Amino acid sequence: MALPIKQVRATEVGDLISVTIVGGYLGAGKTTLVNHILANADQRVAVMVNDFGEVNIDADLIRSRDGDTISLANGCICCSMVDGFGAALQTITEAPVRPERLVIEASGVGYPGQIAGYAHTPGLKLDGVVVVVDAETIRANLRSEYIGDVVRQQCVEADLIVLNKVDLVANPDAVEKAVRKVADVSVVQARSAHIPLGVLIGLDRSGLEPSGAPRSAQDRFRTWMQEFPDPVDRLSFLADLGSASDVLRAKGTVRFSEDPNTFFDVHVVGKRVTLTQSDRPWPTPRLVYIGLRTT
Amino acid sequence: MTEETIIYPARKVITMNPAFPEGQAVAVRGDRVLGVGTVDELAGWGDHTIDDRFADKVILPGFIEAHTHVMAGGVWQFPYVGFFDRRDPDGKLWQGSTSIDEVVDRLIEQESMMGDPSEPLIAWGLDPIYMPGERLVAKHLDRVSTDRPIFVYHASGHLGTVNTAMLERSEITEHNQTPGVVKDPDGQPNGELQEPAAMMLATSAFERLVVAIGSQEAKWGYANEAKNTGQTLITDLGTTRVNDPSQVEAWREVTEDPTYPARVMLAGSSMFGGEQDPDKLAAIVNDLKQEQSPKLRFGIIKIVLDGSIQGFTARVSWPYYFNPPEGHPGNGLWLVPPDQVADIVTAHHKAGLTVHAHCNGDQTAQVFIDAVETALERHPRWDHRHTVQHCQLTTPAQYRQMAALGMNANIFSNHIYYWGDQHRDFTVGPERAARMDACATALREGVKFSIHSDSPITPMGHLHTAWCAVNRLTATGEVLGPDERIDVQDALEAITINAAYQLKLDHDMGSIEAGKLADFAILEDDPLAVEPAALKDIGVWGTVVGGVAHQAGTSN
Repeated sequence: MALPIKQVRATEVGDLISVTIVGGYLGAGKTTLVNHILANADQRVAVMVNDFGEVNIDADLIRSRDGDTISLANGCICCSMVDGFGAALQTITEAPVRPERLVIEASGVGYPGQIAGYAHTPGLKLDGVVVVVDAETIRANLRSEYIGDVVRQQCVEADLIVLNKVDLVANPDAVEKAVRKVADVSVVQARSAHIPLGVLIGLDRSGLEPSGAPRSAQDRFRTWMQEFPDPVDRLSFLADLGSASDVLRAKGTVRFSEDPNTFFDVHVVGKRVTLTQSDRPWPTPRLVYIGLRTT
Repeated sequence: MTEETIIYPARKVITMNPAFPEGQAVAVRGDRVLGVGTVDELAGWGDHTIDDRFADKVILPGFIEAHTHVMAGGVWQFPYVGFFDRRDPDGKLWQGSTSIDEVVDRLIEQESMMGDPSEPLIAWGLDPIYMPGERLVAKHLDRVSTDRPIFVYHASGHLGTVNTAMLERSEITEHNQTPGVVKDPDGQPNGELQEPAAMMLATSAFERLVVAIGSQEAKWGYANEAKNTGQTLITDLGTTRVNDPSQVEAWREVTEDPTYPARVMLAGSSMFGGEQDPDKLAAIVNDLKQEQSPKLRFGIIKIVLDGSIQGFTARVSWPYYFNPPEGHPGNGLWLVPPDQVADIVTAHHKAGLTVHAHCNGDQTAQVFIDAVETALERHPRWDHRHTVQHCQLTTPAQYRQMAALGMNANIFSNHIYYWGDQHRDFTVGPERAARMDACATALREGVKFSIHSDSPITPMGHLHTAWCAVNRLTATGEVLGPDERIDVQDALEAITINAAYQLKLDHDMGSIEAGKLADFAILEDDPLAVEPAALKDIGVWGTVVGGVAHQAGTSN
């Protein structure tokens, strides 16, 4: 039978912690992705993992360790869910320095969409659901009697799929096509789960400024900005966002013609678009996008 | 020092020792059986006292329950609002609440006895599956109180229903987006909270439940329920964290009390904050095994692989669920990735422990059975007794494979009574419902099996679990799967010697024989003589645990 989980206390007034759920079947690379986030974060990121067993944090990075929590020199914390989901969540929301972002690793057979439900707890807001898929095994897994339905459902619940280990397959695009047949969501190919953090967990703190030119010719991602000086039609704005296949994420503020004095914050992860009434109007409404460089 | 010899004459002693099936008396010296026979035969042991208190009773080996949970004792700190009549650990009978009005009346009565109006009223055991039609929601509970927060915990453990005062105290409003906060057509929360993400919003109730389950009173209530229904050994299958020394110490404290009326076996588990690394968990359990005491035992590992059938979360094979609710994903939930099971089993198997795996669905049973086969290939080992727990949809082919591998089954026979009608009509359909909890198949295919209550999911009491296996009557009185019924003798073996075997205690418990522990169930009638349909109605005087008598319905 299920044991009750302790309630997470509502946090003090302040910025909501943005929550990204990372799902995917056993061996897809969720832990590699978590390690990548912890090693490269330029914001205070908290990570909730199933256990520390496979999290590989460079010893030089560890500042302190206290039971189920590891604090890193870069301000990040990693918390194990061994004592239960609620306990880990409480540790994080009550940390002396509140993290800006929270990444929750779902179990290999968990449904990340269900965990996303917890992101509506007071003090938190949902960023999106990222599901990691092993390019080598996904097609066999989808056919499996035991886990086919689980892996399929994980993909369906994703806002963004990281198709990992593409270096280990002969034809990544064919695998990507197979995945897209299962779930009509944004897919990003990766090796060793190496994807810019802006794509994985959101645009960086500098917020609404595009990050400029690609860092290298190999950079598969681009960032761009669009200004909306005038109110826009809500339905066509949403339709445009929905059909922009090269957009992985977007963030910003707009006004709609039906109510031109109200500003709305726009948050896009893959196909997920969230509009919330803004409490800090911007002089010039605009959106910043991250997308795949179309070749 | 020679301990005193006591001879207990009885109406009959049923030994479950096939070489000496019955006697007229049993002799006890210290905590062990000296012998079974006639009083004259037993008097040959020398100086003795005759104790006549069981002269008109039937003495059986103490029943062994290989699948229960200690929270069975904790939930009784709150009033019961379940559908079926149920007896609490003090022996008090709680009438079932068979309608919303009866639930509300029970709560009004309880509320009137409470002081501090800010203290929430918590109740448990509600099962809407038995109350077709209108569902209990906040507006019903508001008839109990508009001030005092109320939380009704459902029998499944997956749902809670609260009143408006609790919604307000917990700040659960129309704006709450947590999935599982059920709303009425106007968008207002209706009081039903589904699954932990929503239930945990009702903090004040949850914290009290957690405290109650972990309390010493819960441990006493758990053993008292065992005593009242004839169990002398109960198994806490994965609720206690054995890696937490303070939790083990709390168990030592109660079990070392001479008046504590049961032996307890604690399974090692990685659930609820247990040790995650199987090698480390196995080492902890092996260390504890070195320090076990007469009434506190170790040596088994519990793993949970899927959900429940009535919750449509067990992993079943094609053709999957019969009549699932709208929006059901098609199959149940894995709680451990199937590809990981062989490694987990191998770690415990190598360490010499017995693995007990919760497998409700047949797909799950297959994964576990195959994992045991893999573990045996990697590390041949005789007499492991790895056990499929619940074992509800296990097929004949799976039983044959289990027999070949030396595995055991612990079959959830109570399901036939409590959910048999629902299994036939909704979960798996008539044919598979008829072959669920297949004791006769296990017997035919040569798999040693026990049966269980999973208390608090269903009430503890082995005469009832045996009655279910023998009669296979559902709550509406239909026989479900007559070909899976077993004889009373086989059912009695399941709750005594075979349960002991499953836990590797059969050298010491499970039958009444010279040299074994003096653990008895003291019954008012002979289960082998009454009509099989009356098996569950036999009175239980109490138990004897290690030579110490514990009378039912008393607080010692």
